[in-house]
Amino acid sequence: MTTTASTFTGEGRRTGAPVVSFEHVSKSYGAVKAVADLDLQLYPGETVALLGPNGAGKSSTLDLLLGLRAPDAGRVELFGTTPQRAIEQGKIGAVLQSGGLMEEVKVRELVKLACDLHPRAYPVEQVLEQAGLTEIADRMVNKLSGGQEQRVRFALATAGANELIVLDEPTTGMDVTARQTFWTTMRDQARQGRAILFATHYLEEADAIADRVIVLHRGRVLADGSAAEIKARAGARRIVFDLDGHIGEGALRELPFLAALEISGRTVRIQSHDADATVHALYGLGLYPRNLEVAGLGLEQAFIAITDAATAEEAAR
Amino acid sequence: MNTLIKLEVIRTLRNKKFMFFSVLYPAALYLLIAGGASETELVKGTHLTLPLLMMVSMASFGAITAVLVGQSERIAKEREKGWVRQLRLTALPGRGYVTAKVASAAVVSLPSIVVVFVVAAAVKHVRFDAAWQWIALTFAIWAGSIVFAALGVAIGYLATGDAVRPITMIIYFGLSALGGLWFPTASFPSWVQKIIEWVPTHAYAALGQAIEQGNAPHLKDVSILVGYLVIFAGAAAWLYRRDTQKA
Repeated sequence: MTTTASTFTGEGRRTGAPVVSFEHVSKSYGAVKAVADLDLQLYPGETVALLGPNGAGKSSTLDLLLGLRAPDAGRVELFGTTPQRAIEQGKIGAVLQSGGLMEEVKVRELVKLACDLHPRAYPVEQVLEQAGLTEIADRMVNKLSGGQEQRVRFALATAGANELIVLDEPTTGMDVTARQTFWTTMRDQARQGRAILFATHYLEEADAIADRVIVLHRGRVLADGSAAEIKARAGARRIVFDLDGHIGEGALRELPFLAALEISGRTVRIQSHDADATVHALYGLGLYPRNLEVAGLGLEQAFIAITDAATAEEAAR
Repeated sequence: MNTLIKLEVIRTLRNKKFMFFSVLYPAALYLLIAGGASETELVKGTHLTLPLLMMVSMASFGAITAVLVGQSERIAKEREKGWVRQLRLTALPGRGYVTAKVASAAVVSLPSIVVVFVVAAAVKHVRFDAAWQWIALTFAIWAGSIVFAALGVAIGYLATGDAVRPITMIIYFGLSALGGLWFPTASFPSWVQKIIEWVPTHAYAALGQAIEQGNAPHLKDVSILVGYLVIFAGAAAWLYRRDTQKA
């Protein structure tokens, strides 16, 4: 995917009333605190990625948002009303990981059902086309592959003009082409001013698609900003180079601002808090690094750095 | 909502295994019980033959089987697969879902009733004095089965997974026995009979018994059934909504 996050950044974001509002929301299951005092606002036109390790509270947050569960404390509002009412008004389309499909029916029949139930529905053929289902419209739902099922779920979520689209791991099971088509469609939706919230394991998707990334950890918001801001927050940059001849690991360890060092074969990978100083010192050692690359951390590494730091901080307390 | 009703009916008809057993099983049971019985000898205390009595009993029993057992298990399965969760995210109101489920159940129960009647008339030469009795019986047993379809939907929402079948079976056998679908309740003590009068299956069986004797169904039985329909359907719609709170 070549599009950068900036494509999504519409002007005048965070104006007007929030689409989604969590106010001090908590939810526990027995002794497990899934969501802890969560405060969160989403605005029209935003494309927001929800990241977090397993058990961070992503699915619970989405359940609370959609009114599938009631919070123990705090308030969840969608479009200034309850989730249930917002759904009845046809303002929300959602693809859930746990969402099943009706069996013994054809794809077209199921999509037509979703269209008929939506107060501002699109034509059935258009919905099928957008979801890439035209060719398999006459197949039985229970005979589909995982990726095809996921496209049907997507069609159900976009059967009409929604103002918020919620997607839980939307591209799981899709191949690369299907994934690209999927996100192209989502971009169109975002351009039309819809808010999109998606939880994902694919960090490169969050990096490429979202104009806002929220990192959840143990039911709390750990970081909230653009992908670039999250990466900057992790602080480190990445230096990669090859060395010929003997590699003195001891000398490399002494480099200033070093955060991590990894040597595999001829290749040295370094994470540094000040890449300029580290590279300068590298030449100062009299070494001649070849194929030198200096780059910011990927979102994935930044994500790991942030959540690891949070875990360590909690352990220290 | 009409699309959902249509779709629920279509998919029920497409489920050949389910249709096959639901439709043919009551007729097979009828042949087993009444197959060897005399076609002319009257059952003691009535002016009706055993093949005729059993025809009405089996049609009622078969209709309840199809709607109660069939619905509760199918719905419990749908909940497990998460389809109900997905449907809950559409603008469909709870009563729409319950109506569609009850309608699809009615599609199964009608042929199961007709098949029992056809088998009884063809094999055991069951006849009535008047043709209206056939039509009235079909309609009464069919309409009455809707009450139990609503109960089936409610059970499907109440119970999960492995618990569905035993719970359905307990309710199903209990209601069938208490309602006198299997054996006459005349031998029970009178205080038990007083209670039994209010059991939905008893009122249901009474509809058919009145018609087979050439009378109109009692208003009391009809009212009892309507009352239960309201309770069961209301419970089903409420459970559908509640289910989503904890699903």
